[in-house]
Formats: sequence, C-alpha cells, structure tokens
Amino acid sequence: MLNIPPPEILLQLSINGALGGAMYGVAAVGLSLIFGTMRLIFLAQGAMIILAAYFVRALFYGLGIDPFLSLLIVVPVGLGVGWLIYQGLFRRAAAEEDRNISLLIAVGLMFLVQNLMTVVWGGNTAAVVTTYTASGIELLGVRTSFTRSMGFLIALAGTGLVVLFLRGTLVGKAVRAASEDMEAATLMGISPHRVNAIAFAIGISLAGAAGVAVATTFPFNPFAGFIFSLKALVALALGGIGNVAGALAGGIILGLIEAYVQYFISGGWTNAIAYGVFLAVLMFKPEGLFSRPYKKA
Amino acid sequence: MSARMLNWIAALGVAALALAAFLPGAVDSYAFSFLFFVFLYAIMAQAWNLVAGFGGQVSLGNHAFFGLGAYTTAILWSGNYLWGSLYDAYPRIYYFDPVTMALGGLVAALAAVIIGLPLLSKLRGDYFALGTLGFGEIVKVVLINGGDFTGGAFGVVAPAGTFDTLLPHYLVGLGLMVGVALALRLLMRSRYGLALIAVRDDEMAASANGIDTLKVKVAAFAGSAFIAGVAGSLYTYYIFHVGPDSVFDLNWMLLPLMMTVVGGTGTLFGPILGAFVMYAVFDLARIAVPDYHPVISGLTIILAMLFLPKGLMRVRGRRVA
Repeated sequence: MLNIPPPEILLQLSINGALGGAMYGVAAVGLSLIFGTMRLIFLAQGAMIILAAYFVRALFYGLGIDPFLSLLIVVPVGLGVGWLIYQGLFRRAAAEEDRNISLLIAVGLMFLVQNLMTVVWGGNTAAVVTTYTASGIELLGVRTSFTRSMGFLIALAGTGLVVLFLRGTLVGKAVRAASEDMEAATLMGISPHRVNAIAFAIGISLAGAAGVAVATTFPFNPFAGFIFSLKALVALALGGIGNVAGALAGGIILGLIEAYVQYFISGGWTNAIAYGVFLAVLMFKPEGLFSRPYKKA
Repeated sequence: MSARMLNWIAALGVAALALAAFLPGAVDSYAFSFLFFVFLYAIMAQAWNLVAGFGGQVSLGNHAFFGLGAYTTAILWSGNYLWGSLYDAYPRIYYFDPVTMALGGLVAALAAVIIGLPLLSKLRGDYFALGTLGFGEIVKVVLINGGDFTGGAFGVVAPAGTFDTLLPHYLVGLGLMVGVALALRLLMRSRYGLALIAVRDDEMAASANGIDTLKVKVAAFAGSAFIAGVAGSLYTYYIFHVGPDSVFDLNWMLLPLMMTVVGGTGTLFGPILGAFVMYAVFDLARIAVPDYHPVISGLTIILAMLFLPKGLMRVRGRRVA
C-alpha cells in the first residue's frame, strides 16, 4: 500500500518540511525562554509574529525597506516591545502564585493584538511581494524557494545568537539559572523581574525575526497567528521544555512530520497527527527528544 | 457577607430569574437571549471550576468536551438514532430531551476518561494543560475527517422544526446552571469533595493518606467534561448547525476560564458571577462599539487580570460551601 517514492521526492519533502518547520522552531525558541523563567504558556506569541509581519509589510510598502533588511529594525523594536510587555502587563502577575492569571493576560493580549490588526489593516489576507518572492535556489540538487531558505537561515541565526547569549554572558547564565530553579536563583541574588523581562524581550524579538520570515514566505491575516502558537508549543515539547536549541530542532521535526503526513496520508490529518506526536512525546518522553538523562548532583 | 446571606441572595435571584421569564413580553426582549448566554457560559465556567478550581488540574480542553456534547446531540437528533419510530409520533421528542442531553454529557465524559487516565497518570501542571490543549485539536480534526457521519468541515444540522421561542432554552439553561451549582455544593461537601481538595492542596500528602489520587483527578476531569458536554447539547438546541469551527472554537474554553478567574476560582458563586459580569461587559461593548468590540474584550481581560487577580469573590483558598 505504501509506495516508496523516488529519493528526489523524499529529499524535496524533507527540505520543504525542514524549511517550513524552522519557522515553528524560531517561535518555539521564544516560547521556550518565556516558559523557562515564568512558567507561562505565552499563547500570544503567534499574534506577535503576525504583528511583526504586518510591520514588515508596512515598512516595505510605506518606506520601501527591503523585508530582510528590516530585520535590523524589527529585532531591536521587538526587544523593546518585549521589555515593555513584561513591565506593563506581566510584572504583577508574575508574582502571583496562580499562573492562570498570566495565561489569561496572554490570552487577552492575543485578542487585543489580533483585533487591533483587523481594525488597522482589515481582516483580509495580506502579503509582501518582492522581486525575489517567486525565485528559487538550488539546494542539494533540489529547487527550493529563496525566501523559505532565508527564513531557515534567520531561524538558525536567531537560535544561534540566543544560545550564545545564554551560554556566553553572565546575564544569559542568570536566565538559565532562573529557568532551572527560580527560587534558588533568587537566593543567589538574581532579580526575577529582570530575568523575566529579558526572556520576554528576547522572546518578542524572535517573534519579530519570525515575522520577517512569515511575511516574505506566506500570505497572512490577523488571525493566522494562533495556529503558530499551537505549532510552536508542539515544537517546544518535542525539543524539551527549556532546551533552546532543542526547540528549533523540534520545529524542524514537526515540519518534517507535517510534510510526510501530507504526502503519504492526507493534508486533512496533518494537525491530528502532529498533536498526536505531541501527546505521545509529553507522555513518554516529557523531557523532550534531545535531552540527556538527568543526573542528580 | 456571610455564606448564609449569600445563599439567600442566590435563592432569591434564581426565583426572580425564573419568574421573570413569564412576564409578558419578556421572551421577546433582548435581555432574555442575553441571560441565556450568561447561563450557558456560567455552566461552562462551573465545569472548568470543578477540574481546575476545586481539583487544581488546569485543563485547556473543555471546548473539546463542549463540542463533543454538541455533536452527539446533533447527530443523535438528525439521524434519529435514539427514539426510532417514536420520533414520527412525537416530532418534538429530541427537543430538550433529557436522555439526548445526558448522552451528550456521557460521550464527553467517556472521552475525558479515555484521555484523562493516561494524561493524568503521567502529566502534572503545565504538561497536563498542554496535553489537553493538544487533545482538543485532535478531536476537532477527527470530527472534520469523520465523513458523512460528522458532516466533515460543514458539520451537522439538527432539524430545527417549528420552534420559535427561547423560553425553554432560558428555563433549561437556568435550571442547569442552578443544578450544576447545587450538585457541586453537595459534591464538595462529600467525602469525595474533601479528597479532591486534598489532592489539589498537596497531592503527595493526600496520597499518603490513602487517597487514590489518579481516580479522584480523573473523576473530576470526567465530571467537568460531562457538564461541558451537557452545555454543548444545550447550545445545539439554540444554534442547530453544529460545525467544527463553531463548537470547537477556543473561546468556549478561554472565556469560561476567564469568567471563573474573574469571579473567583474554587468558589461556588464565582463562576456564575464572573459569567454574568464578563458577558455583560462583552455584550455592552458589542452594542456600543460594534467595530472594536473584540479589542475591548481583550482589554477587559487584561485589566481584569491586572486589578482583580483574586477574583470578585475574594475567598480563594478557603472552602466555600
């Protein structure tokens, strides 16, 4: 029943899947940071990605700034916005023991952003069309879309920078310590608000980078973000919560699963199978696919 | 305010709401359909309150149970799987039929047991919340791919017939809201309720005292699903067209969650109060600024959480009768 397709098609499927999945991955890296320090499922991440995509579109059509060049604007703006979102919305809730409050603020923010976008830009599908949107490049003997490949590079670079920041700087070390044990980290003199705000700033700037990738690759509308949040959660669980590089890998795996399911079974089942894998990983390998066995000190 | 006084106020309120239905012209008034939705959301809020407020297990999958109840009712009705030839003799037999509604709840509860046993035995806290969120999406896709039986992406249409009044919806909704609150009150005063609170407050200690924590948690999850399923059934009698995007809308989970938190998680009156207040705010926004009302909804949620994090009832942590 299962015909094994020729290797070119398998390769094509794998490359397309991996390139698409990297976008889930970069969203998941942001979620992972925020979840790590605040234990918050930041459902508004997808809406922030779409907001960034609209911002990129406005920069392109309004000021003529190339979408990929606009990374230089979007990422710093994202850092600032993330910082403000934490200080304005989550600072108080972070101190509450009841984490439903933070979750609901995220939900409220999602509603707010989605509908503000609808008011400002209308509910119709928008897209960014450049001279290179339709062009392709040769990769491992397979033709792939140029913008998708750029999205993949953005995801790799973004994740790489975050990993370098977490491993190479003292502040990054503080963020990692806080994700492992907030109480102990606080006792060591790390301010929870500071690490939370940093996690948020980086998380939203990654949403900005993902927004650039989305804007150049897909048509989007104000409500397209939620599915991104859900997919990013799946990627997060696959990679292991708190594992930043794993989140990117989880996104790529999810993209591969989706591509294969679409080809071999049917497009209608993609989501069910993706979430099925998600549940299975949560149940049987909740530490994620890549974590080494946990050693007690 | 003492608990006793609160009970009296609640009883008077219910009596007034029930009698108001029979005032001349009441059925045609806008307030009538408004109250129907308040009841519906209050039932959903109470369902979430049972598993998350009293049980401490934050489920993000109650929209799936709502949708399962709605689908069960619509399928039973449109395919006439339940009453056979009796349906020809009494064409209204499915309309607010207690058996059909209970089956809606039972299907949801069964799904909750099937998914709850593995999830709750393995997952805690955030992981359980994530798992239930994934489960909701799976149920939706399964129903979209259910072929003729579930009507695919379009869904199922129940035969509306000649029903032209909201009166039964209103009364059944009110009755269910009160019934669920009374049932929870009895439940939380029983041995089981004590066990549930114990599991919420300290699972390890509860387990050490001989409580089968998995059984207690799964039962709360299934009970919550049952209530949500019955609410879905009630909604079917209002909307008649049950489609994957309408009844599995995430708002059926998020809004009741928010109403419960605004009213007071883990209290008996909180979810009802929260449903009333929040739905009133949303509806006012819809009337006053129709173009911007979802923006206002988002703002309201944020403001409510920033300034009312403990809920209107402000008795969290204490066991309220």
